[in-house]
Amino acid sequence: MKAFKSLDKKNFELLIKDLLKTHVIYGPVKKEDGRVHYRKISDFNELFLSYEGHALLPLKKFFLSEKEILFEYEILDNKDVVIRDKLEGLEKVQRILIGARPCDIRGIEILDRVFISEFKDPYYETRRRNTLIIGLTCNKVAEYCFCYFTGSGPDIDTGYDLLLTDLGEKYVVRIGSERGFELVNQYSELFEDASEDDIVARNEIIEKLVADLKEKDLFPLDNIYEKMVRNFNSEIWEMYGHRCLSCGKCNYVCPTCYCFDIHDELDLDARTGRRVRVWDACHFLSFTKVASGEIFRRERSSRLKQRIYHKLVYSVDQIGIISCVGCGRCIEVCTADIDIRELLQKIVREGI
Amino acid sequence: MRNPYIPKLAIIKDFIDETPDTRTFKICFKDPKDAQSFEFQPGQFIELTAFGYGEAPFSISGKSNRENTFEVTIRKVGVVTSAIFRLERGSVVGVRGPFGRGWPINKMHGKDILIIGGGIGLAPLRPIIHYIGGNRDKFNNVILMYGARTPKDLLYKYEFEEWSKFIEVHLTVDSGDQTWKGRVGVVTVLFDEIDVIPEKTIALQCGPPIMMYFVTKKLKELGFPDENIYLSLERLMKCGMGFCGKCTISGRYVCKEGPVFAYNEIKEFLERAI
Repeated sequence: MKAFKSLDKKNFELLIKDLLKTHVIYGPVKKEDGRVHYRKISDFNELFLSYEGHALLPLKKFFLSEKEILFEYEILDNKDVVIRDKLEGLEKVQRILIGARPCDIRGIEILDRVFISEFKDPYYETRRRNTLIIGLTCNKVAEYCFCYFTGSGPDIDTGYDLLLTDLGEKYVVRIGSERGFELVNQYSELFEDASEDDIVARNEIIEKLVADLKEKDLFPLDNIYEKMVRNFNSEIWEMYGHRCLSCGKCNYVCPTCYCFDIHDELDLDARTGRRVRVWDACHFLSFTKVASGEIFRRERSSRLKQRIYHKLVYSVDQIGIISCVGCGRCIEVCTADIDIRELLQKIVREGI
Repeated sequence: MRNPYIPKLAIIKDFIDETPDTRTFKICFKDPKDAQSFEFQPGQFIELTAFGYGEAPFSISGKSNRENTFEVTIRKVGVVTSAIFRLERGSVVGVRGPFGRGWPINKMHGKDILIIGGGIGLAPLRPIIHYIGGNRDKFNNVILMYGARTPKDLLYKYEFEEWSKFIEVHLTVDSGDQTWKGRVGVVTVLFDEIDVIPEKTIALQCGPPIMMYFVTKKLKELGFPDENIYLSLERLMKCGMGFCGKCTISGRYVCKEGPVFAYNEIKEFLERAI
């Protein structure tokens, strides 16, 4: 079977309508505020696949939700405790994410390396196993995009089950996994082998995106690891740390910021409660605070550095790849106008 | 799939007051199977749950095979620890772990050992002292240097006499009282009481970062090779499995790769560890 198929848009509609019978489907939806969000859809027409750029929040929330109940417990009259695992409820749901951008898909691949490694996070792993990803390459380079420079777009080879490219009347479908292959097989009457013209058209779209991204005249990030290591004590960090408001927005919108906090919630009856995990942010002063009161990253610059070093240095040490996917969300939301592209350029050009 | 976030239920069998704000709790798993499968290396930690209040990491400070219990020594400083202090004997708690990398026991065999503790930092070192006591012929000279703020703040006072039978014990306090006849000063003052051969000695230390900074400096002055110096680092370890990110130093997970690190590893960190 060839790695590329073509899918007429009418057939795509049939495909989604049929999949909606058996799966919970999430896709890009345009909200009243004009922004695009990944939302659960109940009807094919809710999908807004001609969107530009990316959705406000990345895909991580589908695997590592902003607030997750890990388990519930009850303290009995005899002081004994009964625990109810919340994992079991997750097992049965079959989900499909449609219209995910390559940068966001790479974000999930990065999270895979963190959450499915020596230890396995069962909530993440269960959701990952139960979710098909049908990606969609971009039609236009958005203002803050720089995926080409982080190697996470505009085309990627892995991380998805199917990857669509919009050719107008139809999609070219790149098959990226065994599960994607099975899905195409299951609905083989809807798909055709992609023609040479389809492939050429797809390549032209990708090349145009690459050319537009290259126009941004960003540096190659090849030596950024060594540069960053050498410039850990550079005053550049102080400069940006001084501007940073430590609001943590960049953490929340980042496809690869996965840090979380865990705490207990006790109901007013003081009998029942639950353990929850919530997204945390390394920009917060409280992030490294231990019970004795010690705070290990007290300076704002040390917290700003933590996030950027995690993306470009620590991530390479831990999981073998950088964990910035070039989506530009952190630039877009930053109240203090801190631009990671500009910051990294400064390190490369002005650093030692 | 076993869910590693779910604690195993355990019971507080007993506790003793070590200092005005510190207690050692004896904990026993409810299910005998959990007790049987619970094995730990000196220096490892557990996550202990006070139901309704949350979970926090604590070094394992001892065990009793006879009673099938293990021990944690806890200082009352926060929400979870205060809740644990309110628990009575027989109360149910939750336990996850053990987690992390402990002291380098295999590397320590046949060597001189210098153990340096500050305040509650003696807790993760106590299992190694007990281990040495039970396997004395596997080690050469063993010295303990221990310092606390005041005589009241010294942990495990009731064991010092026993320890003195098999290792050298040197004590100091930051400020003494009428009863205190020993040394006064930070733990590094004890270096003038001891004789060590740095290249044959493994140093293990745990205490506040400022103590470990000065102890390490002193050990380096004495000529200790970096790889003979081990430190147990304190960070906020929430999950214990290298996910939550709160305990990292320079991208190294203290919960998974530590809490014990050799100084040559720490020196490679971009961020300051001590």
